[in-house]
Amino acid sequence: MGSFLPLVEKEIKDLLRDPRIYIGLLAPILIMPIIGLAISAAMQSSIETISREGVKVAVIDLDETSISHEFIGFMHGLGLNVSESPSLEVEDAIEELKGSDTRILIVVPNGFESNVTSFRRAQVNVFFIVKSMGLSSVGIFSVIESVLNAYSRALVESFISSKSPEVNPEDVLNPLTTVSYTVVKDKILKVSPGVLFNQFFMGSGIMVPIVLMLVSMTVAQIAATATAVENEEKTLEILLTLPISRYRILMGKLIGSAVVAMLGTVLFIVGLTVYFQSIFSLPVMTGEGLTVSLELPTASLESYVMLFVSLLIAIFFATSLGVIIGALSSDVRISGSLVGFVQIPIMIPMFMVIYGDVGSLPLALRLFIYALPPSYPMLIAQSMFFSELPFEALLGIPCSAAFTVFLVYLTSKLLVPEKLLSIQYKLLMRRMKGRAIP
Amino acid sequence: MNMSVNNGVAVDVRNLVKFFGSFKALDGLSFQVKEGEVFGLIGPNGAGKTTALRILATLLLPTEGSVKVFGYDVISQAADVRRIMSYLAEDAGAYRNLSGLEYLSIMARIYFHSRDEASEAVDRAVDISGLGGKIHDKIKTYSKGMKRRLQIARVFMLKPKLAILDEPTAGLDVVHASYIRKLIKDYANKYSVTVIMSSHNMLEVEYVCDRIALINKGRIVAEGTPDQLKTFWNASNLEEVFIKVVDIGQLPPSG
Repeated sequence: MGSFLPLVEKEIKDLLRDPRIYIGLLAPILIMPIIGLAISAAMQSSIETISREGVKVAVIDLDETSISHEFIGFMHGLGLNVSESPSLEVEDAIEELKGSDTRILIVVPNGFESNVTSFRRAQVNVFFIVKSMGLSSVGIFSVIESVLNAYSRALVESFISSKSPEVNPEDVLNPLTTVSYTVVKDKILKVSPGVLFNQFFMGSGIMVPIVLMLVSMTVAQIAATATAVENEEKTLEILLTLPISRYRILMGKLIGSAVVAMLGTVLFIVGLTVYFQSIFSLPVMTGEGLTVSLELPTASLESYVMLFVSLLIAIFFATSLGVIIGALSSDVRISGSLVGFVQIPIMIPMFMVIYGDVGSLPLALRLFIYALPPSYPMLIAQSMFFSELPFEALLGIPCSAAFTVFLVYLTSKLLVPEKLLSIQYKLLMRRMKGRAIP
Repeated sequence: MNMSVNNGVAVDVRNLVKFFGSFKALDGLSFQVKEGEVFGLIGPNGAGKTTALRILATLLLPTEGSVKVFGYDVISQAADVRRIMSYLAEDAGAYRNLSGLEYLSIMARIYFHSRDEASEAVDRAVDISGLGGKIHDKIKTYSKGMKRRLQIARVFMLKPKLAILDEPTAGLDVVHASYIRKLIKDYANKYSVTVIMSSHNMLEVEYVCDRIALINKGRIVAEGTPDQLKTFWNASNLEEVFIKVVDIGQLPPSG
């Protein structure tokens, strides 16, 4: 091993002194908390704006009766900032509202009072003016729906009281009381799963795969470029004439890259933790403009360890692919054009995790996803806060590690100059032929 | 096979043939290099010099023929060959983000398992390179000439039995080329290193080499000491010899 450590040292020093590597290493620790804080800040500010100014609503009251006035008063009472629309025509009113910060128009039609007092179904028309798909819009619309539901409920209660004063309207309305809980591993949260899902979807479902893809691809690209530079500068040629086996040369390169990758992985997990903490400290909007804090579900230490191991394997895998591509490239430009192939096994699981449920895919596609080491950190991140780690992950991580070792073995077989130079020569000939064709 | 049966022959190349696909890079190349000799393979670009040296350096496998380095077969005893040989590739660079000293230290530690031996080798290399304080600078700040000095220092610090130098002065200005030639000549003599070098600069090999072989289209077309060749071909320098040999296509005199 005496002659092996200098190779690892060479690799680590050469990689860590390359400024380009810091783009990949620092991206997760900078990007994830920034995104987490940005989402948190945006939601906080939306909630504060709504709480401070109230939700602005314009009303066209075509009924002009005591009941319609009562309805408008009810909305006031629940904190809505209600104003009369200057125009009685719906189209004109909407046009006017487009230029203002009021996004809701409620039209109370003629006959509202008579329908309410005769216990027939009354109608109000609500126009939601969508100016953006931002979180604040979602909040405003949900507040309005809650207020209208509350009014509807008040009408029912009044009807029940008038018909059967001895009956508690609440018992009639809710003969069956349903309280929704969401069970997240050993924690029971008094929130609906929808709320939780919306917040997590951005994190586990999109952010983790994208940032992981960024890290893997950067490391692979750096390994490919570093190896291609070795070809270009003939340092690989010199290395291969040293009294040290090709396998050790490759392992020196991979272990050196893995040490750098491990640093990247630690930074990734730090970034991920900060991101989730900022997301989970968010207040959740409820129907009546009030806010409650969501309890923070935590992931177990084992799941963090599994995430770390799977990340390491994924990055080692990507690095091996990078070394293969770099070794086959006689210069950096060829490596740059070939490195796109590394994206395939990294991007496929990413899109599958973002857009679908891997478990429901056809068997062949599922096996393909499970064969790829980059799939596992994405799958683990998706489930680590909600459930026990998926069985596939426990089984698949050793398999993907074996697959990675096999890839390393293949790479070491390729690192024979006779093969390498022959393949490079063939690639060069092919390129030259391609250029010769007009 | 061991080093005691080489009878003073450092390199023994016989009927070497190398194909790349359908392209015949070497066509029955044969020559011998004696221990302690500085031997030059000279010829135009594409003559087969680099291919021959890569086979000697255990990087490529011959299609036919045999190559022995101090009695070791380059195919079946490649690991033994690598222990006694040091190779400099044409236009070889070094790791850009390391300092010259770090590079030499890493290379020395791969060869020598003893820390003291490695440290002595690095001291020798710093002396050979003549880079002074620049040895602590990152290699990416080095000029082409400085990189070549570093590489020559790397080759000779190991005191190899055989140094294989592929175009050691290619692309260098006159001052650096002359400096490198002097280094090769001095340290080959000082450490009793057998050197086999390639060049397409005929004047250079005339200065550095004890014996030379002219190579064209993968074959030796003339071989001998520079004086022998000039006398035989009635030429004032090796460039004239080469042109006459290639034009006439006559068989070479044996060296």
